[in-house]
Amino acid sequence: MTAVEHKFTGRGSLTEGFGLSTEPLPLKPYYSREFFELEQKMIFRRAWLYVCRAEELPEPGSFVVKTIHGTGVEALITHTKAGRIQAYYNSCPHRGSIVVKESAGKASRFSCPYHRWTFENTGELLGVPDEENFFQSMDKKNCGLAKIATEVWEGWVFINLSPEPEVGLKEYLGPAKDYLSGILYRGAHNPVVYTAVLDSNWKTASDAFIESYHIPHIHKKTIGTTFASRLNPYSRLIGARPLGIHRTISLFGNPEYAIDPDARVEALGSMGQEGKSVIAADVSEDAVRFRAHPAINPDRSEHWSMDINQIFPHLHIDTGPGSFWTHQFWPIDEKTCFYEVRFYIEEARTIQERFLQELFICRVGEVVLEDLSNLQFTQRGIENSGTGVMHLQDSEVAIRHALTQVLKWTRAQTVKEALA
Amino acid sequence: MSTAADMNRNLPRGFEDLEPFVARWAGETTAERMATRCETDMNDIQAFYEAMLARGEEAMKLIEEFPLDNLPDDVANLSKLLLALAQASIAVELHGQPRAPESPYPNSIRLVRGTRPFG
Repeated sequence: MTAVEHKFTGRGSLTEGFGLSTEPLPLKPYYSREFFELEQKMIFRRAWLYVCRAEELPEPGSFVVKTIHGTGVEALITHTKAGRIQAYYNSCPHRGSIVVKESAGKASRFSCPYHRWTFENTGELLGVPDEENFFQSMDKKNCGLAKIATEVWEGWVFINLSPEPEVGLKEYLGPAKDYLSGILYRGAHNPVVYTAVLDSNWKTASDAFIESYHIPHIHKKTIGTTFASRLNPYSRLIGARPLGIHRTISLFGNPEYAIDPDARVEALGSMGQEGKSVIAADVSEDAVRFRAHPAINPDRSEHWSMDINQIFPHLHIDTGPGSFWTHQFWPIDEKTCFYEVRFYIEEARTIQERFLQELFICRVGEVVLEDLSNLQFTQRGIENSGTGVMHLQDSEVAIRHALTQVLKWTRAQTVKEALA
Repeated sequence: MSTAADMNRNLPRGFEDLEPFVARWAGETTAERMATRCETDMNDIQAFYEAMLARGEEAMKLIEEFPLDNLPDDVANLSKLLLALAQASIAVELHGQPRAPESPYPNSIRLVRGTRPFG
């Protein structure tokens, strides 16, 4: 029995390794309106929030508009001639109208549709029709688009909604920045994106994506056999570690997974590559380089399937054998969230590759649907729990660590204190 | 010289048996093909699944002869039909019915960006 196999029997010690208590945790943060408002103020108005990859803004003039769900903010994010990526409130300083109606595009300047105030993509106000009829109190220099603090780390674009963030992005990311540094993000320019409005608190949803305990039951048909086997029937984690306020876990993979003989369509897509699954290992040079990164399968386990790197508060960067994908959970209210999953893939070169991608995309859609269906029941139960607490097992350590950070941020008077 | 039959041809020669499926299954995007699968009767899904699967290998070989980013119209239609097979497999091989049991439909899930071509 190898050291890794040993963890699949008896109780593991991941939770102790995180330095966390093993007591039951409160459910109130998952349904209380009051707690939702506290989170909005203490977390979503103070933490650095991931909004998009830099590849969405490939050249000077590129822009995107992102709805920052739950906050009422719409961010206009531009790539300036000087090469800077900067977010602004998409609101005209004249009388507040939306300035840009498109969701993405290319423009070096923007013109408000209401009265044609015109702005540089660096935010400066360039032109005001009938300017002489305004008053001295209207100083054009102070009437540019209002900036939102923006920082980019290795292609990940973050914003911060506090007028003056207490800490910069690098300090905020802390150990996660060093741990994930230098990953080759393959296919970063080509995401396949599913979105859904989920009838659950954002943490209820996020929690469902940081434990594999549910996979053998909820995803039995779609991905159950990929993540569990006789060796590890409950899909226990193969590793987990805290990264400051962030964290990473590694999931088990079934090394014996083979194509089901009834899966005739998958067999058609795999012609000439016998024995590999849809999520099979890619052996290209980039894939090998990607997998060589120390944060990808950090325990170098032969039973590894994927890692989940959870960046506080609501981003998951997941890495598998040859690619990465992200999940994000934006609170809308205490019992609804906006979910977005982005699978980054290389564009297909052959119809066979494209066909396998299509099969993967179809299956992922079914997995999302399984979670969507399941989460409404989780949320309903949470809201009328007789005990008010939840009991977490060792493989659910990421949930425990995540909620602990959420509670800490809602109590901490300063961001420095929340990060400590 | 093109004939009247060619004018009505949506698929490459030799794939005439799949013509009846073009109107319903050759959706332009993955999201359209997904909606088709969710909204089609199981018998019709099964019929398409069997017919397309039987010609799958030949279709893939023929499509391989053309650049994927610049397919002639008839080959493009065949490609879309082939991709729709992935959707049909969800119904036939996974659920045994058009949609996942005990799941709401319509629902809030949107495939807002696919991958080229026909994504």
